[in-house]
Amino acid sequence: MRTGHVAMTSRLEPAAERVETRRAMLSRLLDPDETTLGALLLAPAAVLLGGVIVYPVCKLLYTSFLDLSLTSGLPARFAGLANFQQMLEDPVFWQATSNTILITLITVPGALVVGLGLALLANLPFNIRWPVRLSLLIPWALPLSFAGLIFAWFFHSEYGVVNDVLNRVGLSGAIWFNSPRLAFAAICLTVIWKASSFMAMIILAGLQTIPRSLYEAADVDGAGRVRQFFEITLPLLKPTIVVALIFRTITALQTFDIPYMMTGGGPGTSTVTLAMYIHQNTVSFLDLDYGSALAVVMFILSMCVTAVYLRMISGREGAR
Amino acid sequence: MSATAISSSGSLLSGKPLRAVAAIILIVNGLFPALWILLTSLKTEAELTLKPITWLPHAPTLQNYMQAFADQPLLIFLFNSFMVALLSTALTLLISFLAAYALARLNLRFRGLIMSLIIAVSTFPLVTLLVPLFETMRALGLLNTWIALILPYTVLSLPVCTLVLTSFFEGIPRDLENAAMIDGCTRFGALFRVVVPLSAPGVFTAGILAFVNSWDEFLLALSFNSNPALRTLPVGIQLYQGEFAFPWPVISAALVVGIVPVAILIVIFQERVVSGLTAGGLKG
Repeated sequence: MRTGHVAMTSRLEPAAERVETRRAMLSRLLDPDETTLGALLLAPAAVLLGGVIVYPVCKLLYTSFLDLSLTSGLPARFAGLANFQQMLEDPVFWQATSNTILITLITVPGALVVGLGLALLANLPFNIRWPVRLSLLIPWALPLSFAGLIFAWFFHSEYGVVNDVLNRVGLSGAIWFNSPRLAFAAICLTVIWKASSFMAMIILAGLQTIPRSLYEAADVDGAGRVRQFFEITLPLLKPTIVVALIFRTITALQTFDIPYMMTGGGPGTSTVTLAMYIHQNTVSFLDLDYGSALAVVMFILSMCVTAVYLRMISGREGAR
Repeated sequence: MSATAISSSGSLLSGKPLRAVAAIILIVNGLFPALWILLTSLKTEAELTLKPITWLPHAPTLQNYMQAFADQPLLIFLFNSFMVALLSTALTLLISFLAAYALARLNLRFRGLIMSLIIAVSTFPLVTLLVPLFETMRALGLLNTWIALILPYTVLSLPVCTLVLTSFFEGIPRDLENAAMIDGCTRFGALFRVVVPLSAPGVFTAGILAFVNSWDEFLLALSFNSNPALRTLPVGIQLYQGEFAFPWPVISAALVVGIVPVAILIVIFQERVVSGLTAGGLKG
């Protein structure tokens, strides 16, 4: 934006420019200098981001300090930190926050390990590549909400395929969604399944950039396969993995679709996530001020992760 | 192609049996859930309550599909999903095309800052937008309209598409444009005659990513469009659940109907999707 402003004033300055003919102005409009053109091209994106992100975030921060009682019809008034105080005393908030953090702590490393395994398998020299590629792409393209429904059916206590397999191998099936712990485990497994194939695709792309000659040299030196993995593959994959982990962490903090579809937060409130609690307060209870305060917490949590990421990127570029 | 499973020593690790086992693990892991839903959708309600459960349907039936279309306006859900995804994809592509061209071709003073901003936006938690957008859409009377979803979905895909297109433009030789400009084209002329045709594959890749993003989104669709006539597919599917009953075969049929369009897209354009995801789309 500022760049456009600078260009504008400099264009108006010299008096000679005023005699610019209409035709010259037209040709200038059709063939502008770089700064003006840059500002013009970036303007639509800036307007959209301003309207759909910057303005709403400002509004969010503002609303979180208000007392809006939509139902009572009283006008909004400034309530200071009342919403945040309410939050500290709200057991469901603590439950939702700890569930969200726990899901993140379990599913991010889980998806990394499973994804790394899948990527190593997919990197074998298959003659036909498309079935392997599709089996990583389809889970990625499957909507999260569909994955939630499908896995709810998998874990069905009577007719679910999970209990069926458990019975067949001689274990007894479980009533997954009646127990807070088992319901939580089912959710985490589903999230890991859904996230791991995307992780695998990113890691696979990273694997394919590792020059083969490195492994050949290691072979010559007599390094075993395990050593090659830890001394060549993992170090070279590190940048890819770190970026994938950060994006995964931010997505995990927002977990909504899968628990919403699988348990609806139950039994009780044992599997409610922060995103579900924000949604419930906003849409079901129309408690916008409290919902805003909760969303501010979510915003701060994910901005912390983003800050780490941006610092890392600039660090890497600075090192170059 | 492969880097880890190298070595011509013919050890067990790179042998044929290992590849077969690996392929089976990958395919079962990736496709079993969708396959299971397909099998469920072909079973009768009576077969579904047999114990132990059957894996392959004894008497495959399409009854559940007819039921799925009869019980709820499934076609309308599909239409809503399709139109919202299509319109937001078009808007995303238009805006990110312009931005990416500027980022790839012009000497912008704040390029680094703008790139950081784009990355920051790509990590932005959509959930936090729920409250203020809900409030705004409610005030503007936009709840239960396509617009309520198209605008946030455009923002959702904008960073990814911009990054994909930027890296794509950087791969188009500048000399082609310079030559066109020397031949008397204006910058816009060069843009439309040279860059636009050459960038079609990149635009297409970015478009698929944006389309899938919109097609999959659930939280905002659930919150903003509750009217059955405006529900998108992921939200509409919930309507099949009765208060007490959970008609799994019918739900499965509806899920299959929802999975097929995107699955076709993915099957046809798989290589392009993979290249797009790894070029700049680090969100999944």
